[in-house]
Amino acid sequence: MTAAIEASGLGKAYRRSWALRDCTLAIPGGHVVGLVGPNGAGKTTLLRLATGMLAPTYGTITVLGQRPAAGPAQLAQVGYVAQDTPAYARMRVADHLRLGAWLNPGWDDELAQRRIAQVGLDPKQRGGALSGGQRAQLALTLALAKRPELLLLDEPVAGLDPLARREFLRSLMEAVAEHGTSIVLSSHLVTDLERVCDYLIVLVASRVRIAGEVSELLASHRRLSGPRRDPGTLPAGQDVIEESHTNKQSTLLVRTDEPIHDPAWTVTPVSMEELVLAYMNPASDIPAHRPQLGVAS
Amino acid sequence: MIRLTWLQFRTQAVTAAAALTAFAVLLAATGPHLASMYAADGLDSCHGSTCTNLADYFAGSLIRSPYNVLWLLSTGVILLAPAVVGLFWGAPLIARELETGTAALAWNQSVTRTRWLAVKLTIGGLTAMALTEALSLIQTWWAVPISQAAADGASIGFAQSRFSQLNFATHGITPLGYAAFAFALGVAAGALIRHTLPAMALTLAIFAALQVAMPLWIRPNLAPPDHTVNPVTSLGNALASQTGPGGDTFTLYANSIPGQPGAWLLASGPVNAAGQATSTTPAACASVGSTGPGTGANQSASPQGSTTGPVAFLGCLASHRIREAITYQPATRYWRFQATETAIYLALALALAGYCFRRLNRRRS
Repeated sequence: MTAAIEASGLGKAYRRSWALRDCTLAIPGGHVVGLVGPNGAGKTTLLRLATGMLAPTYGTITVLGQRPAAGPAQLAQVGYVAQDTPAYARMRVADHLRLGAWLNPGWDDELAQRRIAQVGLDPKQRGGALSGGQRAQLALTLALAKRPELLLLDEPVAGLDPLARREFLRSLMEAVAEHGTSIVLSSHLVTDLERVCDYLIVLVASRVRIAGEVSELLASHRRLSGPRRDPGTLPAGQDVIEESHTNKQSTLLVRTDEPIHDPAWTVTPVSMEELVLAYMNPASDIPAHRPQLGVAS
Repeated sequence: MIRLTWLQFRTQAVTAAAALTAFAVLLAATGPHLASMYAADGLDSCHGSTCTNLADYFAGSLIRSPYNVLWLLSTGVILLAPAVVGLFWGAPLIARELETGTAALAWNQSVTRTRWLAVKLTIGGLTAMALTEALSLIQTWWAVPISQAAADGASIGFAQSRFSQLNFATHGITPLGYAAFAFALGVAAGALIRHTLPAMALTLAIFAALQVAMPLWIRPNLAPPDHTVNPVTSLGNALASQTGPGGDTFTLYANSIPGQPGAWLLASGPVNAAGQATSTTPAACASVGSTGPGTGANQSASPQGSTTGPVAFLGCLASHRIREAITYQPATRYWRFQATETAIYLALALALAGYCFRRLNRRRS
């Protein structure tokens, strides 16, 4: 299967700062990918690079094997829901659907009409009169009815209340189940994504900290607690991601592919949230990136 | 894409159609009466110099009629139409999509940005050109009696000839060029600045600057001008007056060239027998000039009225072989100038459109 997104040495610089740098990624298709990072980490930049809304300053990016926005065929394969889920203020909901039908050869009008009815959008309502949640649903409908192979969603649930959030993610998952769409969705809250994604990318301060399948990441990270100890004395192959010490005790979050044999440690598995928070912590000590995780140094 | 463009452009198009209709109705309602005034003054069946007198009479009656105002108003509408189009259709075309974030919606359908822009530019640009040219044609039809009177030799301050700045810019094919240019300028300014309001301001500033620069500095040089030297007495409405306190210098005003009706006078000035520019009053003429009114304390005032003084003075200048050298563009070059200027504006519009395409695609890898 073609990689959903492949980036190599990808960087986007603005006049005085980096929005994204040294990003090398290979996201396989068929996943629901969570792109997590604090605000301003470069999530939106990465997604906009993937849609071709931005051009990279350095490096290359291919989406479904092609340059982003390379042509009508490539555009047809990628759906994008931007952060603020824009809608034309003066156009009615029904007009937005007509727009979708006119501009997309693969348009699934039955799906669009059904979804609009499901989420309770009035076709006569104008874009400017919709609430944030309604706009998000309209934008998602447009992106889904296009029947893309890859759906990119930038903070799609940020503006939604918890109930609408759950509803939105549920309808998203239905779509994946129904059409086998690959999805990349970003959020600064891992709790939004926990339930739905099976692949994780953590982006901090314009760099990719870690990327990989959720199950593998959870399997390769352990929380160790035991008597106070200098992390430098750990055996090779155990990389400390995060550490905290009291007078008597040390708690470490380590990445390792080996089982922990040292009986002094109490070993507990980590949750996705803990994992993400550890990598998002600016003080965390990120070890040299390992190639199988696809992160460039 | 065409259907989407129409959907988004509908409001502007309907507004434009309404404005065009109002304009047409106003001029269609008054045009026949203006034509009947022209006919009633006998201008339809006159010959030779009678026409000039009749035309002058007709022109005089226009000054005190509402048609004067209507002429200025309709000319103003045609001059402003391209600017309005550039500001309200052109500038928001890309800028508003970027401002409201809907660009992410528009450019992520299965249509490339190039095609999106091509359709929008074509439909918007052609509509702008059609609208402005329609306004121009309606007004040209309406103003036929006025233009005809000017051609007959009437001195109509506001519509002197086809080359006069207001006429040249509102008749013929130049409105097509202005409309295409202003629209493309607005789109390009929006693509550059990415915000509608500043893009509108920039569009207005550049368009206004070019519309001033074109007649003043560019248009006269679009073709090498012709030169002629004429006896001062043969100049149609020439006025001569003394300007120096001792009657030692004079000025000469000429506003037509014998045998060249409708020519565009670019520059004129008196030359002496040797062909050199001069403004020194021949000693023998000083006393002739000073016999006219306006001498004494008011010698430096504007040209005097029509008394024997200036005419005698003119005759005296002529007898001293002072002639008027005139730089001009002959009336026959009218369409050549129209075509050249329109081509310049269309070329600028195409260049700006090219910039928009580059700008829109530059953000892609």
